Amino acid sequence: MALIDELGRLRDDGLEAIAASDDLTSLEAVRIALLGKKGSLTAALRGLGGLSAEERPAVGKVSNEVRTSLESALAAREGTLGSAALRARLAAEAVDITLPGRRRAPGREHLIARVVREVSDIFIGLGYTIAEGPEVELDYYNFTALNTPPDHPARNASDTFYVEDLSGETAAVRGESDVLLRTQTSPVQVRVMENATPPIYILAPGRVYRRDVADPSHLPQFTQIEGLVVDEGITFGDLKGTLEHFAREMFGPQRKVRLRPHFFPFTEPSAEVDVSCHLCDGVGCRMCKGSGWLEILGCGVVDPNVFGFAGIDPERYTGFAFGMGAERIAALKYGVPDLRHFVESDMRFLRQF
Amino acid sequence: MRVSLKWLRELVDVTLDTPALVDLLDMTGTKVEAIHTVGQAVDGVVVGRILTKERHPEAEKLWVTTVDVGAGEPLQIVCGAQNFEAGDLVPVATVGTTLPNGLTIKKAKLRGVVSEGMNCSAAELGLGADQSGLLILPSDAPVGTPFFEYHGTADTVLELEVTPNRPDCLSMAGVAREVAAVTGVSARVPSGVPSESGAPVSTSVSVAIEDPAFCPRYTARLIRGVKIAPSPEWLAERVAAAGARPISNVVDVTNYVMFELGQPLHAFDAAAIGVADGRAAITVRVARPGERLVTLDGQDRELTADTLVIADPTGPVALAGVMGGADTEVTDATVDILLEAACFAPASVGRTSRRLALISEASQRFERGVDPNACIAAVDRAAQLLAEVSGGTVAPGVIDAYPVPIVPAVVTLRVSRTNALLGTDLTEPVVTGILTRLGLTVTGSDDADVLLVTVPTFRPDLTREADLIEEVVRVFGMDRVASTLPAGRGRVGGLTSQQTLTERIGAALRGAGLNEAITWSFADPTDTERLEWTFGPGEMPVRLLNPMSADQAVLRTTTLPGLLRAVAHNRNRGVADVHLYEIGSVWFTADGRKLPKERTVIAGVLAGSWKRPEWNDAPPVLDLFDAKGVLESVIEDLGIARFKLRATDLPWLQPGRSAEVLVGGDVIGWLGEAHPSVLDAYECAGPVAVFEVQLKPLLKAARDVRPFTDLPRYPGVKMDVALVVDEGVSAERAEQTIRSAGGKLLESARLFDVYRGEGVPAGLKSLAYSLVYRDPERTLTSDEVEQAHEKLVRKVTGALGGRLRGGE
Repeated sequence: MALIDELGRLRDDGLEAIAASDDLTSLEAVRIALLGKKGSLTAALRGLGGLSAEERPAVGKVSNEVRTSLESALAAREGTLGSAALRARLAAEAVDITLPGRRRAPGREHLIARVVREVSDIFIGLGYTIAEGPEVELDYYNFTALNTPPDHPARNASDTFYVEDLSGETAAVRGESDVLLRTQTSPVQVRVMENATPPIYILAPGRVYRRDVADPSHLPQFTQIEGLVVDEGITFGDLKGTLEHFAREMFGPQRKVRLRPHFFPFTEPSAEVDVSCHLCDGVGCRMCKGSGWLEILGCGVVDPNVFGFAGIDPERYTGFAFGMGAERIAALKYGVPDLRHFVESDMRFLRQF
Repeated sequence: MRVSLKWLRELVDVTLDTPALVDLLDMTGTKVEAIHTVGQAVDGVVVGRILTKERHPEAEKLWVTTVDVGAGEPLQIVCGAQNFEAGDLVPVATVGTTLPNGLTIKKAKLRGVVSEGMNCSAAELGLGADQSGLLILPSDAPVGTPFFEYHGTADTVLELEVTPNRPDCLSMAGVAREVAAVTGVSARVPSGVPSESGAPVSTSVSVAIEDPAFCPRYTARLIRGVKIAPSPEWLAERVAAAGARPISNVVDVTNYVMFELGQPLHAFDAAAIGVADGRAAITVRVARPGERLVTLDGQDRELTADTLVIADPTGPVALAGVMGGADTEVTDATVDILLEAACFAPASVGRTSRRLALISEASQRFERGVDPNACIAAVDRAAQLLAEVSGGTVAPGVIDAYPVPIVPAVVTLRVSRTNALLGTDLTEPVVTGILTRLGLTVTGSDDADVLLVTVPTFRPDLTREADLIEEVVRVFGMDRVASTLPAGRGRVGGLTSQQTLTERIGAALRGAGLNEAITWSFADPTDTERLEWTFGPGEMPVRLLNPMSADQAVLRTTTLPGLLRAVAHNRNRGVADVHLYEIGSVWFTADGRKLPKERTVIAGVLAGSWKRPEWNDAPPVLDLFDAKGVLESVIEDLGIARFKLRATDLPWLQPGRSAEVLVGGDVIGWLGEAHPSVLDAYECAGPVAVFEVQLKPLLKAARDVRPFTDLPRYPGVKMDVALVVDEGVSAERAEQTIRSAGGKLLESARLFDVYRGEGVPAGLKSLAYSLVYRDPERTLTSDEVEQAHEKLVRKVTGALGGRLRGGE
């Protein structure tokens, strides 16, 4: 049975060649040489047609065994070589993962805008809306309607910026002009009170101006955040509760809050609000100048005269108002030692927050 | 207001220790701003006698002294003070002493001369503010004695912040009343009754007030035969503790009584006052045109018609409440003193002191308001003290010009209203108790709820019910009021849609890589020239009447200068990459306008690259397309469909890289690269891409809610096309032509390459587009796509006069 012998030789040679293949390309060449259309096993099987009916079953059986063994050897070798190739590729593609990432850096919100947003969010949660108004204002809205007497020092040209009035009118209060850069956002409150009927719950953030030389703790242009509530039955206790809630939301739930009586022309009673120092927990440090307290805002019950200017009945409605400097809050909360950073647009500062 | 606790204890029984007192004052509205320890005993300071005083060989302003400190050899001490002579007794800090200001005295060479200690001023010893020279001690001070043992006990001085509504607290008596009220004890307000002799004052002095509105009351006393001398030590010490410099017995007494009772006093040399009808004749009136006065500081001042003066028959002798005149000043030769205690109107004194920039302890008290009914007590007290320390005799009687006496006001207070406003539950006795402690008189009325409160004239701030309610809560304790939240119903907080959109614009700008900046609203008037800024008809910048500086004298009409300055600021500090945006106001005014037009703009600046090159990333230099991209991402975020740039040369932008920004067909701003001459003017190296657009039209055009668009269900077919066209054909025109030629089946056209060079003749360019064809309802056949594409190419090449790249 020469054919059976030949098949045996083919199998032995084939298995040897498969084992000798050291990559997927040479293995494929071996596969084609054995099993392709012109392969040696294919050629040998063509000889099957010349066999007698008695010989054919035995030879056919052997030839199937040879094919099966070659195919399984091929598959096994392919698996072995394939995973080796993958391993090699992965090894070649390994990187130093300590190299810096490829960054696309989004811009940052200005710290003052962020503080305004934080404060706004707290009061929006208490049912307030945000009110806005012009930065160049009339004396009436900035001072008169807020119960500021005509000779009050805040009205001095040394404290308040006045601008040229091109209307041809003469100044009603004093000096050359009744037009000024607002020194507070309270004029927004007056405008709201003129146009809305209570209940009023508003927060008025915005740029304001005072004639101070820029230094670590002053800026001639800064950001004020003021609030106003006018409703029936509003009490001093409501003011206190509101600001305590605010101070704890802003500076942390552990903070103690105290109101110290003070004086403002547009509120009575008036108070300043201190929060216990978050750096030293009220023990006394450089930040709080040893007192354990940080002054964060001024507030009070709306003075009946202010309601008088706005045409609100002070017997029916009461209210409270408060105001704070966003720069001061930011400086205290984030430890910024010099307010001038806020207006210098230094990228190294802006990108810190 | 400086308050010596030693002095305060004489006026009120302070039962609290200092920290508790400070806390109580803080919590009742009189904030303690600082606590100074005065005369804190320091070891090593002794009384010394200066034996010799010679010029320092190397320094004109220094002296070399030898000082006897009672033990061993005299010390050689180099000293910079000028107010002493050999023989004077002074405090000497010996080597090793640490002074209250922290300075430790060491043996040292000063400009080559050995110094073995320090001769001290009052300030250096923590004894007040006087640092003008050495503290010269009385001639009987025992040399060698420890100085603080000689000087006596220590004191604590509180620096109080007195709010403008509390003029009464600008005196020791007032603070004592306040402390008494808040601690529940009573105060002893000092008074003095002078013993009188000689001819009555009325035979020597007359006073007339021309306008009681400016001067409600003027009182005066005459003290004859005084001898001007330094004050006794107790007086000098008190005056120093209150923050003034001891000068002479007469001046110190006037200052002392001002600090004690709050009433400013002025002492005239009576002989220098002009006479009418045989009497020194004082008139209180406003200045007449052309009148002048040489004041105590030697300045010859022109007086305006609203200046209130004290005049004699020859003219003004003092600026009422502000400063005395040089001619009537008390000198060493003065014999008779005319002592003034008056009440001048706050507004008048305030105006004069501000205009002349003369702000004094006296003017500050008048400006806040002094009690017209306390003048007599003050002038009596001062006369008594003056007689005591100067050896003079007080003429019988007081001149008292008080045309319209001011009587205490009666204010009604409702207990119910008090509780309603405060959120408290105080009873009538509690309210009455608090007001009574403050020196107010409370009587009941027909209505049990209504109290009638008589307010003494030293509390001019209490005129209304609200003022009294404030007093109640202040003394009751704000910390004792229960905290609540407003109970009002039916309110909802939140942002308006405009505010939300504005926040979204900020978020989009940040998402696109810009950092938020805040720049000055002020601008340099020359900014608009440097930019060659073009104003609308009649428009001009808003001019400040009192700017801080010439380069901040107007309000900005554009954010561009501020943003360019920000670029320069960063570049000067080694920061090359600057990407900023600002959302803020600009202002324009015009003749006839009162308030200017105020516009909110959104502006950006991009300079350098997005970042410095990194190992795997080399970002290109930013140019106007980066700025355009930023703006496009904002526009996309707002859902605005109609947005485009229109090439327009604006003077502040580089020609050919300058555009107007259009939304919905309207110009809303500009975008481009800053003009090289503008960059020079602001000291920036280019290119710097900038833009500024108005907020309002953006908000108006925003489509906040956009309807859903179905996702494609059938495959699209991608075809690329490269068109060679004339340089003059804009990308916008090419794309419009492609879109109209592509018909319904063309879904998108994306420009992916612009090419000039080999294969494209000069003057032409190749625009390569990636096109996607799609039918939303079915799969397109390749024939349909071929046909559509052929038609597109034919139409586009025809319309643009171009051809396909690589084609014929």
